[in-house]
Amino acid sequence: MWKQPYFVIGLSIIAFFLVGSFVYEWIWGNVPRQIYYIMEGGRAVEGAPISPNWQFPLGSDEFGYDLLGKLMLGAKYTILAALAVGAVRMLIAVPLGYILGTYLDKHRKWISSLADSMHYIPLTLFAAFVLTPVLWMPPEGFTNTIWERIGIQVVIMALLTVPIVAILIANEAALLLDKEYILAAKTLGAGRLRIIRQHLYPQMREKIAVLYGQQVMETFIVFAHLGLLKLFLGGTKVSYDPMFGDPPMSISYEWAGLFGSTFRYLQSAPWLPLAPVLFIGLTIFAVSLMMEGYLRSKNPKVKKLRKAKVEEPLVEWNREQLRHNLVRIKEQEMVKAEE
Amino acid sequence: MKLLLRFFIAIAGIILASSLPILIAGWLQGEWRWNIYFESIQTTLQELWPIHEIAFFNYRAQRPMPLFPNVLEYITYSLQILFLALLAAVVVSLVLTVVTMLLSEKSRERVQMALYFLESIPDLLIIMLAQLAVVLFFKQTGILVSKIAAVGDDRIYWLPVLCLAILPTIQLYRLAMLTFQEEERQMYVDLARALGFSKVYIVLVHMFRNAVISVFFQSKKTMWFMLSNLFILELMFNLPGIMLFLRDNMYPAGFLVAVFSFFLPMFFLYSYGEWYFVRRMRGKGAV
Repeated sequence: MWKQPYFVIGLSIIAFFLVGSFVYEWIWGNVPRQIYYIMEGGRAVEGAPISPNWQFPLGSDEFGYDLLGKLMLGAKYTILAALAVGAVRMLIAVPLGYILGTYLDKHRKWISSLADSMHYIPLTLFAAFVLTPVLWMPPEGFTNTIWERIGIQVVIMALLTVPIVAILIANEAALLLDKEYILAAKTLGAGRLRIIRQHLYPQMREKIAVLYGQQVMETFIVFAHLGLLKLFLGGTKVSYDPMFGDPPMSISYEWAGLFGSTFRYLQSAPWLPLAPVLFIGLTIFAVSLMMEGYLRSKNPKVKKLRKAKVEEPLVEWNREQLRHNLVRIKEQEMVKAEE
Repeated sequence: MKLLLRFFIAIAGIILASSLPILIAGWLQGEWRWNIYFESIQTTLQELWPIHEIAFFNYRAQRPMPLFPNVLEYITYSLQILFLALLAAVVVSLVLTVVTMLLSEKSRERVQMALYFLESIPDLLIIMLAQLAVVLFFKQTGILVSKIAAVGDDRIYWLPVLCLAILPTIQLYRLAMLTFQEEERQMYVDLARALGFSKVYIVLVHMFRNAVISVFFQSKKTMWFMLSNLFILELMFNLPGIMLFLRDNMYPAGFLVAVFSFFLPMFFLYSYGEWYFVRRMRGKGAV
């Protein structure tokens, strides 16, 4: 796994964001540098938002905060939350799927069509619908802390697609249960728990890993979508002041919030919404690189299959004999013809 | 009969989901509000009947709006965009798959690798780049290719459809490539080749028929993904569709109407497709 270039590149991108995020906060504190205008020859040439230049690779936002700094500070929230959503989801769905596939196999059909109805509800919509009471700040302010809210959001988002993932695993497990070696194990007296532990889980380990990667990717997308709906990771700060109300704001610098709160600047300052989405895309790309690398390290024969033209000595010998005999017959025929 | 059962189970699932925020809000306060949850489901269902009297308050128009015919217009517009994009994605991806199948093994591998990584582009990025590109093109040449935002009840078609179709095309393309390659290893392909049929003929006639079935069965996930995308698309283009309408009506009855407007056509499409393909497979045996 560690020798696969794809896996290592993907991992290092994610590690860069995570480590960079903590290091940035450790060195420069949790407020990015701020600049109101750029001076050139004694005159201010550009005010905030400043477009990308060498000093500020991604420019600055409308209040003059360095966008790269904001993105780096926010990386840890977004990435860790997405990883956590995937992990919680798998932790619930995998055992549930196995139970459905083995103990409750008779009920699998109707439970699966119940879970199937999830496929008609757009995930983003469902998430927004369910999460609004959690994340939208009520007029009297939040009663819980930001970490509590992030925790609740992670658990809810994880639970949303548990039925679909569990059914996927249950169907897969049911397919494997029909194999002969499982039957043999059963005949030898293996209980269901032992079959799950010893046969089903090892067989599906790779599939589960890939599924986890897919869940993480999907979560990033849903985070971004929720950002567009102004539902930010860890809650949305809403100003209820009727006169000078600020627009809804994210409490941390997480990426969905950076995107969602700047989307309306798309035409005037395109780097503001584009940079967070690019970062999200880059992270998703890193996850898919890791998945590909992981799969390649597990089945290296994918490449070798095509070179399966192995020279087999027996086949060669047979061919040689055939050629030999053919030549002899031909010679005999020619001798006969001459006579 | 079985179909009817599945239909009702799916409806039950959606109805159960529609009042979920109440449970969650209760859970946040540390209590289980099962009673209020079921009451909410009950009142929601009562609101839905009779169907002619459903009305929602609309912020754009600043007045309540009946389901028929006003909201229905939103629904048809959304469905038009969704199905146009789906059609485009299916056609383009299948054509591209057939073309790629005629290429050599090595270039096929490259295409697949590229597709795999292209899938990680977020949909938001595509929409934003499209909008920026249209504006840039307009500034350069003075030609407005398409409107990038709908004002009032304007209807714009081709740019949203294009944006919505790109990612599903990539997904379906990759999916179809995998199934076609799987199909290529079957015996009948070898036989056909041995009989001297050309590669184009085998791919187009024999493999296509069989591969399309399994592409169809796997396309549900793409459809699900498209629904989320449609939601985002309507927000970003400010399209007067059902999703945007729903955002202003985030309560159980609005949620139910919006979800049902997708659920009904999609469920029938998939059920019909399944019925058709299963019958064909049984009737003819292996083609």
